[in-house]
Amino acid sequence: MKKIVKAACLAACSGGLVLGASVSTASANEWPTNDVRLVVPYAPGGTTDVLSRRVADLLQDELDANVVVENRPGAGSTVATGRLARGGRDVDHTILMASPGHTIGAAIYPDLAYDPVKDFVFLQNLIDIPNVMVVPADSPFDSVNDFVEAAREQGMTFSHSGVGSSIHMSGELFKTLTETNMTAVPFAGSGAALPALLGGDVDVSFENMPTVLSHIRSGDLRALAVTSAERSEYLPDVPTLAEIGEYNLDQFVTTAWFGLIAHESFPQEAQDAMSEALASVMKREEFLDFAEQLGAEPGQVGGEAFKEFIAQEVERWQEVAEQAGISQ
Amino acid sequence: MEMFSEVLELFLSLDNFIAIALGVVIGVVVGSIPGLTATMAVALALPFTFSMQPVAAILLLVGIYKGGMYGGSITAILIRTPGSPASACTLLDGYPMAQQGHAKKALKTALYSSVIADFISNIALIFFAAYLAKIALNFGAPEFFWLICFSLTIIISLASGSMIKGLLAALMGILLSLVGLDEVYGSQRLTFGNYSLMDSISFIPLLIGLFAIPEIIEFYRKKALPHIKAKASGVGMTLAELKRCLKSIIRGSLIGVVIGAIPGTGATAAAFISYSDARRRSPNRDNFGKGEVEGVAAAEAGNNGVAGATLIPLLSLGIPGDVITAIILGAFMVHGLTPGPIMFQENLTLIYALFVGIMFSSLVLLVVGSGAIKYFSLIADIPKSILFPIVLMFCVYGAYAVNNDTFDVWLMLGFGVLGYIFNRAAIPAAPFLIGFILGPMFEDNLRRSLLIGHNDLSIFVRGPITWFFIAITVGSILLAIYRFVSARRQLRRDTTQEAS
Repeated sequence: MKKIVKAACLAACSGGLVLGASVSTASANEWPTNDVRLVVPYAPGGTTDVLSRRVADLLQDELDANVVVENRPGAGSTVATGRLARGGRDVDHTILMASPGHTIGAAIYPDLAYDPVKDFVFLQNLIDIPNVMVVPADSPFDSVNDFVEAAREQGMTFSHSGVGSSIHMSGELFKTLTETNMTAVPFAGSGAALPALLGGDVDVSFENMPTVLSHIRSGDLRALAVTSAERSEYLPDVPTLAEIGEYNLDQFVTTAWFGLIAHESFPQEAQDAMSEALASVMKREEFLDFAEQLGAEPGQVGGEAFKEFIAQEVERWQEVAEQAGISQ
Repeated sequence: MEMFSEVLELFLSLDNFIAIALGVVIGVVVGSIPGLTATMAVALALPFTFSMQPVAAILLLVGIYKGGMYGGSITAILIRTPGSPASACTLLDGYPMAQQGHAKKALKTALYSSVIADFISNIALIFFAAYLAKIALNFGAPEFFWLICFSLTIIISLASGSMIKGLLAALMGILLSLVGLDEVYGSQRLTFGNYSLMDSISFIPLLIGLFAIPEIIEFYRKKALPHIKAKASGVGMTLAELKRCLKSIIRGSLIGVVIGAIPGTGATAAAFISYSDARRRSPNRDNFGKGEVEGVAAAEAGNNGVAGATLIPLLSLGIPGDVITAIILGAFMVHGLTPGPIMFQENLTLIYALFVGIMFSSLVLLVVGSGAIKYFSLIADIPKSILFPIVLMFCVYGAYAVNNDTFDVWLMLGFGVLGYIFNRAAIPAAPFLIGFILGPMFEDNLRRSLLIGHNDLSIFVRGPITWFFIAITVGSILLAIYRFVSARRQLRRDTTQEAS
């Protein structure tokens, strides 16, 4: 019997260790006085999760406090965001890694119990990842113009990683602006969508840069354009969609952005401490190297400017979702 | 030769050995705790790998993955609570074996078949990666559709007893799998405005509820403490048994390899396909589901066969086939490596060092697994009146841990009641599970095919892979009908003989 108890204790202890039991190391600073909780509104393993864990690691040094990452997946990030909006006990020590799901979610999920702009303070946009308009290597289209002309004649298909993803909405935006005949083909994540594109089952995709960069370099996919405002340093020869200058595409600027937000009651001193810490984090080599690996550019906006950007995004995606007939 | 010494130099460091051993140990422990999956452990371990050497970092994560794959079977066998979704199939025969006093035998069978399958999967990864990756790329939505159709026919062999009840359970599973976000139009189905249901019903609470809770209810309903005569943990697997199961193990491993190489199907499906294949071929067919060694072996071979093979699309194409490989992809990228064809040109030494480590991890799994069995099998000797309250606590904790959501705990308890009703009405739970897992895949790939083909049905017969799966689907159904008819005839003959 003793042995059994010993084994059970061992199992329980190692379980606790793995869960990452946290011990406070808060110093004499005004804020944080407690562990900081970084909520990831997606399941472990995605870009948001990996980025959050990297940032939490660096933020820990800068804040001299524990930063505990907590995954709260569900309904395209709206479950975790809704819970943050409701407030609660630790709200002055809770931050959340927001991404396009924050603005798109507001457009496609019915009856959200929160306002995606008013209910939060916006701390800092950390990175921007451009999407790339890619076609299979054996596709007959060499330019965006070729593609649009053909897509107006015949039906085209584009793959995406799930309803409401930035990849999906980019495709819908492209379809609306260029007035082409395109059908969305959904997959469960980019991993499942990629083979369909590589194998030529779909005609085009607006994939995130890190997913397709190596395939573009190896020649398996052809990049027609990037969706960011400026050309990407990773694909300097590929034009931006805005550069095309036709088919209303000058309005097509979108990136997958990632940034930290908090509850609207997040104290001013905490906001100041966070902006200072994040500014240092974003200068660190580890952060810049990581961004480079993702094919991302460091984010530019924080505070009010970040908030304004979010407000515009919410409005834009609402229009696109309406035109595409998605949900609501 | 120079290459060979470089590879060894890269691999032979203490860090790598520690990483593999630690990874497998963490994996086995975490995998065996219901609700904590290998996926979570890999995600949580990821930040620790940032400061490690790339080879050690990847090996740690791969170790956790493999350990977790095996670890899930431990609680499935001992307390009817699958530690991870992929081990749900293991409990069909593993738990009855433990009940009959063969806990140790079941655990050893699971371990040996896991290790053998893991080894075969690694060999496939190392020698046939390029070839299998090519097959994976030819696997589009229509091919998937037929693969799922074929997989659905395994319901026939899992519906032990009454076919009507089996189909009923499967349909119920499919019905519940419809809950959540519609993949194509993004509309909510059957969620009744509940946010916890918008991503569909969580799988782990369903699993835990369906299998573990009915046992607990049954125990307290009878209120009888079973009299334990001898040590229930029993003896290990004999060589003769291993020999008998070897064919099923190898076949299961190969099924796992093929399924693992195709992104997006998963270890759970592989386990069930392997199990039903073994059952269809075995002379002990009727003993499956009642504590058949071969059943445990086939299920574990199927899910562990996936482990090495999921790295095939990752390493050769840069495509992660499941969440775990997506995290491992993240780990590669943190270290400045991009999996895919280019890595084979630029970092060949590193890849070979990884291969050596991955092969070595099978051996570590055998050692760690044997150690784990020694202690874990003692659980079988704990009186149920002490064990079950602890199990119940783990059930609640496990259901909550997945999404940190109390709704999932209620869901788990609800499925517990459903599982109990299933038990009382002799409705098999396995077809329900298959319906729940494969239902959405069936629907999504059907709709995806139609979208890709612009509603032209000819896309469903577009190439040799589709023809192959259509043929084996039809064959599988015909075989089932033939067996059904001949069993009926036999029965009639027996009764007329008795009458005369």
